[in-house]
Amino acid sequence: MSDHDQNHGKPDDGGWADNPIFIRAFLGLLIISCIAAAAAGLNAAWHNPHPHFAIEGVPAFFAIYGFGAFVFIVLVGQHLRKLVGRKEEYYDERE
Amino acid sequence: MSASSLLSVFLDNPAVILTVGALMCVATPRHLAGVIMLVVTAISAAKLYSLGLGNYGVFELFGEEITTIRIDPLSRVFAVVFHIAIALNVIYAWGQKDRAQNFATLAYPAAALGGVLAGDFITLFIWWEMAAITSVFLVWAPGTRATYVSGMRYLAIQVLSGVLLLAGVVLFYRETGSFAFDAIGLRDGDGAIKLAALVIFLAFGIKSAFPLLHNWVQDAYPKSTISGTIILSVFTTKLAVYALARGFAGTPELIYIGAVMTIFPIFFALIENDLRKVLTYSINNQVGFMIVGIGIGTAASLNGAVGYAFSNIIFESLLFMAVGAAMFRTGTSKATELGGLYRTMPLTLTFCIIGALSISAFPGFAGFVTKGLIVDGAAGFNIWIWLTLLFASAGVLEHAGIKIPYFTFFAHDSGKRPKEAPVPMLIAMGVAAILSIGIGVHPEPLYALLPDQEQIAGYHPYSAYHIIEQLQLLLWAILAFAVLILIKWYPAEVPSTNLDTDWFYRVPGRAFVTWAVGAARVIWVALWGIFSGRLHALMTRIYTMHGPEGQLARNWPIGFMALWTAVLLGFVLVLSFLA
Repeated sequence: MSDHDQNHGKPDDGGWADNPIFIRAFLGLLIISCIAAAAAGLNAAWHNPHPHFAIEGVPAFFAIYGFGAFVFIVLVGQHLRKLVGRKEEYYDERE
Repeated sequence: MSASSLLSVFLDNPAVILTVGALMCVATPRHLAGVIMLVVTAISAAKLYSLGLGNYGVFELFGEEITTIRIDPLSRVFAVVFHIAIALNVIYAWGQKDRAQNFATLAYPAAALGGVLAGDFITLFIWWEMAAITSVFLVWAPGTRATYVSGMRYLAIQVLSGVLLLAGVVLFYRETGSFAFDAIGLRDGDGAIKLAALVIFLAFGIKSAFPLLHNWVQDAYPKSTISGTIILSVFTTKLAVYALARGFAGTPELIYIGAVMTIFPIFFALIENDLRKVLTYSINNQVGFMIVGIGIGTAASLNGAVGYAFSNIIFESLLFMAVGAAMFRTGTSKATELGGLYRTMPLTLTFCIIGALSISAFPGFAGFVTKGLIVDGAAGFNIWIWLTLLFASAGVLEHAGIKIPYFTFFAHDSGKRPKEAPVPMLIAMGVAAILSIGIGVHPEPLYALLPDQEQIAGYHPYSAYHIIEQLQLLLWAILAFAVLILIKWYPAEVPSTNLDTDWFYRVPGRAFVTWAVGAARVIWVALWGIFSGRLHALMTRIYTMHGPEGQLARNWPIGFMALWTAVLLGFVLVLSFLA
């Protein structure tokens, strides 16, 4: 079940996602959304009425944690490659 | 039991209906397979609906009660979503001509469904093994040596799970005198681990891919065909999730096991180049969330685990389908060879992004309305498990929410300009996407299926704090991605093979077995040499004595014999005189 039906185009031949205007708009919207979400966390009326931990009441805790977790995963996780990364044919040569 | 009532026991079972349909696919012309599969799935679903809640197909076997169909709120959720998944897969693979795959497309989900509906361990064991045997045809489907070898490894591990289940069931019967498949619990009243429960727990653990027992998923699933991988991704692990929810709800060990499952696949998925393999790590991660929910075992977290399994089957399939469609058109699922497909596959891209938003649990999508129950449950357990699940949620966004769509459709331009996915694939992805949004926006029909109605009636996922917390977590994680890309700190994909636990049995394990076979042969030859040498020497001695030239075979002269007869008679005469 496959159909390798590919027409090759010229790389970077002006798709909408490569348009700098789109990229800027996307980043702008993302930054505004991030700020809005963090700002919404400042409103105590919108906090969890039954928090399990005091940390849930820290403004923007979830924003900081999400940002930090993502950066940690990417920057630390990539070093796993040094430990377990092998060439693509690794198992082909051994089986 | 009469033959007719025995027949009705079987034909009432949706799993048997699907199995009969699978056999029909083998016996009928290939071009009818799609229609047959869809009709049979519809008949099976109608049968499930018409039966309603209750136990059916109950009979006595050697004095023990066998319950072949148990439809209760827990099994019903899985039975319903299994039917949806089968229908989506049949549509996606419409026109598939390979008879073995068509057979497995129905027979394997049938086995998983049979397991979910089983009310006793005997029935469960039979379907458990059927799932192993029927699914291996999907691993073997590409027909290469690599898939054959991988299929054998897969089969060995699945059968091991079955053997453990059987052993556990025997021990369980000895302890309790019952085959009923209900809550087992890992420990007895004194807190000691029950042997039978532990063995069954391990059997379930292999199939649900506990950490260190997980790598059969990455080894076998991505080697299957495009549609085969999607089918495989749904059933085995979710059957095991169901079995754990049935037998081990509220087992604290599951919380820690599940938490580890949510974390470690994130890092392997980050460095993996094959996007289908990335999604197999995603299966481990997603099942981890469900297992945490089961381990916590409250009404809310169990509802969350089961509801999340339902949603996950749909959006995880959707992601597999989107990557599969790209692979169908380009011949590859490797991140290094894909990229830039958004130009010519906009519909597939849209569906993929819906799957990505759903798995990341964005408000308005399927993941959000059930995952919160699990995360809240974790908060009620302890802060570390709660923080772990939040961390893992950022990880889900990284590998399934961003990596899959980004490297398939954006990233560097591969120069490939394939056509949009074929219509059947678009229909299947479209339905899965509609369901993902539909469940997210309007979760009530899913909630109506969940086991604890009292709990879910009081649950409102769209509270302000829940939305804000989730948006903060996800949006800021996306911001982190954007920053890392802009400053070029996000690692480039590299064609590679990443070692995982399968290395132990594929390299040193294989070397050990090869050595053991060689050593056994040498020892056998040596022992046989010693034995046959001794035997030869013995035979030679016997031959020397008794052979034609041997001492004992010599001819004696008649006169010599007569002389000795006379001596003997004289001796007897002397004796008689003396007496």
